[in-house]
Amino acid sequence: MLKRLYRWLDLRIGVGEIVEKELTGYLLPRNINEWYSLGSVLLLIFALQVITGMLLMIYYVPDADKAFKSVTFIMNEVPFGWLIRLCHAVGSNMMVAVLILHMLSTLLMGSYKAPRELNWVTGFTLLALVQGISLTGYLAPWSQLSFWATTVATNSASAIPVVGPYLVEFLRGGKLVGPPTLGRFFALHAAVLPVVIAAFIGAHLFLLKRTGISAPPFGREGTANPFEAQQYHYQGHPGGIPFFPNYVLQDLTSISIYFAIFLAVVFFWPGMPFTPDAFVPADPFRTPAHIKPEWYFLANYQTLKIFPSELFGLSVQAAAMTFLALLPFIDRSPERHPLKRPVFLTLVIAGVLLWIALSVWGHLS
Amino acid sequence: MENEGRRKFLGVCVAGATAAAAVAAGYPVFRYLAPRSGQGGAAKLVIPAGELKEGDAKFFEFAGSSAVLIKTKSGELVALSAVCTHLGCIVQWVKEKQQFLCPCHGGQFSTDGTVLGGPPPRPLAKIPLTVTEGNITIG
Ligand code: HEM
Ligand code: FES
Repeated sequence: MLKRLYRWLDLRIGVGEIVEKELTGYLLPRNINEWYSLGSVLLLIFALQVITGMLLMIYYVPDADKAFKSVTFIMNEVPFGWLIRLCHAVGSNMMVAVLILHMLSTLLMGSYKAPRELNWVTGFTLLALVQGISLTGYLAPWSQLSFWATTVATNSASAIPVVGPYLVEFLRGGKLVGPPTLGRFFALHAAVLPVVIAAFIGAHLFLLKRTGISAPPFGREGTANPFEAQQYHYQGHPGGIPFFPNYVLQDLTSISIYFAIFLAVVFFWPGMPFTPDAFVPADPFRTPAHIKPEWYFLANYQTLKIFPSELFGLSVQAAAMTFLALLPFIDRSPERHPLKRPVFLTLVIAGVLLWIALSVWGHLS
Repeated sequence: MENEGRRKFLGVCVAGATAAAAVAAGYPVFRYLAPRSGQGGAAKLVIPAGELKEGDAKFFEFAGSSAVLIKTKSGELVALSAVCTHLGCIVQWVKEKQQFLCPCHGGQFSTDGTVLGGPPPRPLAKIPLTVTEGNITIG
């Protein structure tokens, strides 16, 4: 039956040719490893965020007077509403976590190097966009947590000289966070950013198709990058393993592991995305104690706190982000094996430890 | 041959697991989307008899749908579904003619729900009611 359908399609639109070219005939390096499957996991997570987000929109009301009630209604009244909402809220945290892992793996394997600079740049932009979609989504439930986390986050822009104060007002749509803020944040969260993210994912994958996938720097072949910028050349892997079925199996394995972790959090740690303030409706006249951002913003939050001047703290972060974004243009040596790049490896480890230390400090302070 | 058998067995296992996963994901989504039962108001309603004059009609929500209560010129009380039996529009009360008119395709009904004209195939459904001490209990 399936075979006949396949044949029917093949006779008309030549699916066999596509399968041959993109799946069974798409050869990957023989020494490819697990880390290359994180991109597929990310695609799946994004799809799940879109689906659960659309489902939430059925009952969620983006109005300051009704938002909190509608979210409570989803949680307590709608059958399985808690499941859909938790999948969305936990999923957003998982997405950032997997994004960071994906980034670290490409960092350590040096796959951001020529000719893949643009892959790194689009990926880095995706990280920023996903942080943006999480930040704007965080306001949606209109709880004390939403309200004050957004107040603090938008407020940090006021340190920018000259335009800062106006920028804050512009972001909020008013002097303080209020109903206009919910309108613009929700539009960004559910309409603008998903489309922009989808477009960047498209670009990310297109670039990958044009450069060809990198071979890991471990194992038999030379570890330096053979790239010479003389003329365009697709980096294929003759004699490699086919994407289908070999690597699809790895992708499915990684996705299964992801699901195991994701569902474990959804079912056994449903409080993960929330603090007690998430269960109190927003009150603009009462600031709760200990308002903290989500875990992946804790390092930024702590950095802002330890510098004596906000502007200085903000500049340091902007510099660090710019440095990371432009890394492939700064680090141009062709060597990719981490152990053959001791300075680089030390810096990466120091950077990760610093980030963790700042986050823990931010959490405890 | 042995390989073939294993292949088939594994194939069945994978298909079974996929089907189970699809059901596990699909059922919550279906329940989430399904209209909530018991919604849309009580299945019993009390209206004070004084609220309605002779020859008048009163529309109200009943068991999640629209209904109408009329008091005929002779003082008789009738409760009917207000949903036209043709394509489901809500009928209007035409006081001068003492009958119902459906604005969608011109269906006409008498005070007891029988079809007087137009496309409706069936009379309007009757809703039982009781009158006690000046209160009309519907349903
Ligand atoms: C088309 C895509 C999306 C749509 C339509 C959508 C829609 C929604 C809606 C309606 C809410 C409010 C209900 C609630 O708070 O539970 C929400 C909340 C949220 N969304 Fe999304 N979303 C999408 C994608 C994403 C993505 C990609 C992320 C992050 C990676 C994300 C992160 C969040 C967060 C952090 C919240 C607040 C969760 C909470 O505290 O409950 N969303 N989203
Ligand atoms: S729906 Fe009432 S006449 Fe057609």
